[in-house]
Amino acid sequence: MQPDELDLISRDEAPILETMRSIYSAIPMHHLAAIHGKIAGAMIVANAVVDALPLIHGPVGCAFQRKLNPFTLSSTFYDSPCTNLNNVDVVYGAEEKLSQAIVESYERYSPKLIMVITTCTTDLIGDDIGSAVEKAKEKVGCDVIYSTGDFVGKSRPVGIQDSLYAMADQMICREDVPRREGSVNLINSPTQRNAKKLQEMAGLLSQMGIKINKICFDHTTTKDMMDLARADLNITGYRMSWAELMKKRMDVEYCQITGWHRYNQKKDPETISPYGLAGSTRVLKEIAKIMGKEGEAESVIEKNRTAVQLMLKSASKELQGIKVAVPVGFSLNLLKDIGVDVVALIYRTQTLTHGVTDRAIQEIERANLSLAEIYDYHPELLINPTPQEELKTFKRLQIDLVMASAKIAHFYNREGLRTVDVNDFTQTKMSVGFLPSLELCRVFREALGKVRMRSPLLDLMEFDDGISNLTPHWAKIAMSFHHLRSSKFKQSTYYHFQGLAGVALNEHNI
Amino acid sequence: MHGISDCITIIHGRNGCHCGALLLQTLGSEQNSVRVLFSGLKSSDEVYSGEERLASAIRLADRNFSPRVVAVLNCSAPVIMGEDVEGLEMLLEGEIEAELIAMDTGGPEGPAWLGYEEALSQLVSRMRTKEVEPRNGINLLGFKADDFCSMGDLNEMKRMLQDHNLHINCVMSCSDFQEVQRAPHAKLNVLLGGDGLECAKAMQEQFDVPYVAVPYPYGLKKSLEFIETIAEAMGKQADPQILEKEKERIKKTVERAHMFFQGIYSMPVAVIGESGRAFDLAEFLSDELGMEVKLLAISSCNYVTSEKIDAINSPNLKLMIEPDRHDMNQALKDARVSLIFGSSFEKRIASELSASLLRISYPVIDQISLSNLPYAGFFGIAAISENIINSILNRNKEEVRA
Repeated sequence: MQPDELDLISRDEAPILETMRSIYSAIPMHHLAAIHGKIAGAMIVANAVVDALPLIHGPVGCAFQRKLNPFTLSSTFYDSPCTNLNNVDVVYGAEEKLSQAIVESYERYSPKLIMVITTCTTDLIGDDIGSAVEKAKEKVGCDVIYSTGDFVGKSRPVGIQDSLYAMADQMICREDVPRREGSVNLINSPTQRNAKKLQEMAGLLSQMGIKINKICFDHTTTKDMMDLARADLNITGYRMSWAELMKKRMDVEYCQITGWHRYNQKKDPETISPYGLAGSTRVLKEIAKIMGKEGEAESVIEKNRTAVQLMLKSASKELQGIKVAVPVGFSLNLLKDIGVDVVALIYRTQTLTHGVTDRAIQEIERANLSLAEIYDYHPELLINPTPQEELKTFKRLQIDLVMASAKIAHFYNREGLRTVDVNDFTQTKMSVGFLPSLELCRVFREALGKVRMRSPLLDLMEFDDGISNLTPHWAKIAMSFHHLRSSKFKQSTYYHFQGLAGVALNEHNI
Repeated sequence: MHGISDCITIIHGRNGCHCGALLLQTLGSEQNSVRVLFSGLKSSDEVYSGEERLASAIRLADRNFSPRVVAVLNCSAPVIMGEDVEGLEMLLEGEIEAELIAMDTGGPEGPAWLGYEEALSQLVSRMRTKEVEPRNGINLLGFKADDFCSMGDLNEMKRMLQDHNLHINCVMSCSDFQEVQRAPHAKLNVLLGGDGLECAKAMQEQFDVPYVAVPYPYGLKKSLEFIETIAEAMGKQADPQILEKEKERIKKTVERAHMFFQGIYSMPVAVIGESGRAFDLAEFLSDELGMEVKLLAISSCNYVTSEKIDAINSPNLKLMIEPDRHDMNQALKDARVSLIFGSSFEKRIASELSASLLRISYPVIDQISLSNLPYAGFFGIAAISENIINSILNRNKEEVRA
């Protein structure tokens, strides 16, 4: 979208939208009991470009199932045309069918971009997707790209990374693109189509004299995607293979906001988080340096940061010294800004073990504890605690607020512990800038006003001791999933989530 | 397979297949009994074979859940790879407690309804009969536990049958495995909406159990036909006094909101759903509620769809069989309907057309039913009618676009 359209977005901030997101939050997706396949990721990207159309090259069942959007269960992919492969196609190949389907899709839907998404069927039978696409391109008046899941190695999430890479490789990267010098692209995840989240950052960069070329993904069109190549710098939320490609092919620089690359340079724990007053200052200076605007950046940052600090003084008055239990991973910078006291850090490592080494898990712990020390926090560290261990510690420490998602709030509320759910804040408000600290103040103040003790109906149910947001039955499903996908899976040894730690279960315990 | 309450289903395929299957169950109204696992098939297995991984998954499922049966569904990739899942049955025999049922369910093999029919037929080979035991009761075939309001519908059908001393031996598929195994002990197989025909034929051949097809009992006439057909096939007569009582009850229901029943008469509607349900629903809406069914789109056929097409007698009705969604949406626009009876996947088109949407067809993933109110049967008339009327009454006119 165009940056000057930001103020024109009549973003509906109605509370129902937050509820529509959170109502699905307890469904154990995202590597707990299931993983979304690559097609789902590619569909997300196709859906994020408003005039693009996905075309699933596979059987009709794939198209049916992929109407479900596992990233955002409140949304559905209503348009999921497919090539409807049958057994004959599996034997003889379906390249011709694909070419025809591309033409037919263009005639029916008139998209500006068709994204062909392969399935395991077409991957296995070895259809030459590239040539089928080239053949069809001659007959349609739109761009056509294809995503197979093979372009980006182990980058995650595969479907999203691969389809964006395909877009960059097959469409965006080209010759003779008129550049818009001194401009940047702000690129959020296609699962978060919310340009308002980047509004403050865009404003701060503009004050520094840095032009905003494009903001993705919000009302993003195919033309917007093509115009990404005009900027000098891509600023992305996390590591994106396609941005790396654009740097290589189009000399568009690349700055990744989150990630451990800054910390790894000097092992400076203050560089863990790019958020809050301190983190945002660092990132903005970094961007200014890349764009040659260091001089301008100083005064802009100083002016805006000071203004917010003044507002924070009154906004955070009642939060000063409030004792909070926080999961490792949430920005301690932001918590420092609002003046709470982090007295407990809860570190859950089980879901990290699939993609992160043991050494890295320990490093994360070390970095967070070091940062806590710098901020004069002295938290007690709980590693994979059982629910009982948590409660005992929280009561001993006289915790005022537990940072926990709403789906497990009932567990704490029945013990008289208030909770604060920062999930929606993280999704919609947490960004580089100074205003998120003010917003977090509001979230915490509101949480302090909630009822401390409740008798939720959910308490009538039994929840698992290990994975406390799941029933014992679902915990078994999650445990089975965890074992089945693990490279360490051995038939004769079973691991039980004991507070999400791996504890061998003896035969006679089964 | 998921309808068998003590069965664990293992999806032998890639992540996405499992994720979709799991979600379709989890987004429904029976979150406490989702029993779907996956085999953990990785891309390297597509080169070296995933049979060992699958065998491990079966063993794990057996130990963790102690199911009575493990169903392995071989998805597209393993089917193309030629994985011998039936061979695994022999390999694991004696090693696991559960009975193992494996079948190929690759996407290219056909649409969902074929898979459903084939899965039911697979169960025939697991059925057992004891000659000494007399046959009793009926089996309901073609029941789908993940349909919206399915439990309410089943309870209502059971109630209706019990009122006439007709008892259910087994519901396929909504029973435990032992009940399925005992299916041949029924006197009669009853096919709901014509679903389950191949299974019924196989049972007739193997166990000499006759079958009869009945309509899905939407509305008064279909419910009467449901009871009377079954009673007759069982050599009984439906009790006319009980039927008269039901009619009286329905009359009182209609009386309570009769002005609104009058108001929805001639309302233009569209019906989108599976063959085993949609034809009967359309007939109820047209015949008994007086609605104008402008479009009937059959999203999924069965073996008796062609007979039902022949039986249609409505010149104004546009009939589409397994239509392309784009074509169906266009037909919906042309039909200019006020109310769509469909699935959650019709939500956007309903919104675009400013039509109300009554969720009744599979899949319904954005509405749950905890009250177990039926849409079928005599009691179902009140529930479905109030939802129809409310879907019009509670619209905010200012939100409706011109």
